[in-house]
Amino acid sequence: MWDLILNPFVTILAWLYAALNQDIVLAIVVLTVIIRFLTYPLLAKQQESSRKMQQIQPQLKKLQEKYKNDKEKLSQAQMKLYKENKVNPVGGCFPMVIQFPILIGLYQAIFFALAATPFQLVDLSERLLIPGLDSLIPLQRMWTPIPQLAGLLPELDLTLAPTENPHYSLILPLLVLVTTWAQQKLTMATTGQKTAKKDDDDDDDGKPAGGQAQMMKSMTTIMPIMFGFFSLSFSVGLSVYFVASNLIGIIQYSPQGRNVLDKLFGKKQTDEAPVEIVLEPDEPVKKPRKRRKKKPRKK
Amino acid sequence: MNTRRSSFVICLILIALVLTGCVGARMGVSWPAVGLIDYNGEQNIALAYNNNVAILSPVNGAPLRLINPLNGRAILDSENNPRNWVLQGSANNGAQFYALPIVLDEETVLVAANSGNLLQVDSVLLEATRSIQLEDKIVANVLVVDDILYVPYQNGGLSARSMEDYREIWRFHTEEGVWTQPLLVGEMLIVASIDHHVYALDRSSGQLIWSLNLGGSVASTPLLANDRLYVGSFNKMFFELSLDGRILSTYSTQNWVWGSPAIDERGVVYVADLSGYVHALDSERNLQEIWSSQIAERGIRSGPVVYQDRVIVASRDGKVYWLDRRDGALINAREIDNRPELLGDMLMLEPSESLDIDAPLLIVTSVDEGRLLIAFELDGRQTWVYPR
Repeated sequence: MWDLILNPFVTILAWLYAALNQDIVLAIVVLTVIIRFLTYPLLAKQQESSRKMQQIQPQLKKLQEKYKNDKEKLSQAQMKLYKENKVNPVGGCFPMVIQFPILIGLYQAIFFALAATPFQLVDLSERLLIPGLDSLIPLQRMWTPIPQLAGLLPELDLTLAPTENPHYSLILPLLVLVTTWAQQKLTMATTGQKTAKKDDDDDDDGKPAGGQAQMMKSMTTIMPIMFGFFSLSFSVGLSVYFVASNLIGIIQYSPQGRNVLDKLFGKKQTDEAPVEIVLEPDEPVKKPRKRRKKKPRKK
Repeated sequence: MNTRRSSFVICLILIALVLTGCVGARMGVSWPAVGLIDYNGEQNIALAYNNNVAILSPVNGAPLRLINPLNGRAILDSENNPRNWVLQGSANNGAQFYALPIVLDEETVLVAANSGNLLQVDSVLLEATRSIQLEDKIVANVLVVDDILYVPYQNGGLSARSMEDYREIWRFHTEEGVWTQPLLVGEMLIVASIDHHVYALDRSSGQLIWSLNLGGSVASTPLLANDRLYVGSFNKMFFELSLDGRILSTYSTQNWVWGSPAIDERGVVYVADLSGYVHALDSERNLQEIWSSQIAERGIRSGPVVYQDRVIVASRDGKVYWLDRRDGALINAREIDNRPELLGDMLMLEPSESLDIDAPLLIVTSVDEGRLLIAFELDGRQTWVYPR
């Protein structure tokens, strides 16, 4: 089942490698750009959903305070608020769930295409879907980052970890860390801060309130460290992918990048104020009536 | 609060998915190497895979016991159990093994490790007495001729080393790895490389005699028969080569050819490919196809074995197939428990006194640590499994 996603990626990567003068790093970057570009509508949808959720946060907070002793009423009021604002509370997850296998597939495709051992190569034999790519195997795994400085900077083996490569390759995990952090920061700015600043009822620093802000903050710290740490033990080829992917993400999340992409995908920018719901202080919350069977009257 | 909690849980699940994706992509280096070695005056089965190198009895697949040469008694471990001939990489700086051991003398064995060194092992106490650092990792068997070791390297090249002091005599460079044992033809070494070439080298000087680009990686040792070489490549082609480096005939296969071919007394060459096909080709008629059929659901990595009227292949689908060599008709198929990938080479043992077996035995290798070797009789009955 997983091969249905993975094998086309491996094949496209090998095809790009052939088309791009057998430059595997360029092939990885181009494939990453293509995938991130094609999955942009999903990303935009996810961002839109997060933004809307953020916009209605103050009202949600009010409702929580108002109905803190009545969970049923709170739930109904929340549903009404979601409905009025056309927000699906789990709407942001669906695009993310679709994107994830694609990104993991891309990541694994790089791993499998850069086969360096007999076991990896025998596996690759079942993954190339287009005839004629077999003669390219094995893909060139040695890479000179700056050809002009080839004398100073020895070649890197893309299948080995930075710790097994020349020392200067340790800059890659650092780049992964920095670019992941920058992307996370931009993600927060796009979905959280901007909306929160407009709202007077939110925290003073203009950031999303409470646990969610805390969670996002810790994600911004944990994720870059986690990926930077992974990159120390993963192959250099995967670090190249992480950096490329993050840089594209930064472009996608930046306002200029989003404008260009939204125009390309014909998407309108919406920054409407959230619809407020009016609940009377003593508004009775209608309970669905249970139909009772009529009892026969006593005569 | 619930929404926050659920989004945090979703984030954690996604991170776990990433990690699973990363871990799922990791795999081993190679498959078990199996072969016969002369040890203590008898022929035994040698096995090398991941953490272990073992010497086993062909009779029941049990590891040989370590015997004290002074009193002929079994050597015991700290718990008074007899020690078996199983060398562990974990006890030797985490070495991994994919090449068969070489018996130097009654008390010394040489083992090539994937960590890039040769371990000289005291075979009585089973302890490494010396470690010789090499330039690169090793995934293929080392060839020994006239006290010279010909060492193929995983990332490229081959070197000749003296068996006396292990000094390098010469080194030949290739652009990509050499993943198969070199073949000796007279004074010429035939070296197949992942860099698409077959090289012929002068074995005493390492000088190139000829090289031939076959258009795809070559991962198997060529078969020498009737002064010709037979070898397959990853560009879905099978070749008949002359000993002076010319392509005499070609045959198109369905997928990459990885294993070495086999030939019978009629000159029929049997080749298997990674689409699960087996092809029978006439070596007398420019590799004309006699029959070709898809036998297995998945690829066949190892070379076929020809024995009596049968061709036997083992597939990645976890099955062993016995075919009629005249027309490729399926005679028998045996599924290994849990269907592990059968990637390593097979070994056909004929009954002999030195092997101490009275019926032919087929040894199949899998990548399942719980059943690395499975022995079958000719009719497909399983006789033993290692480890038990």
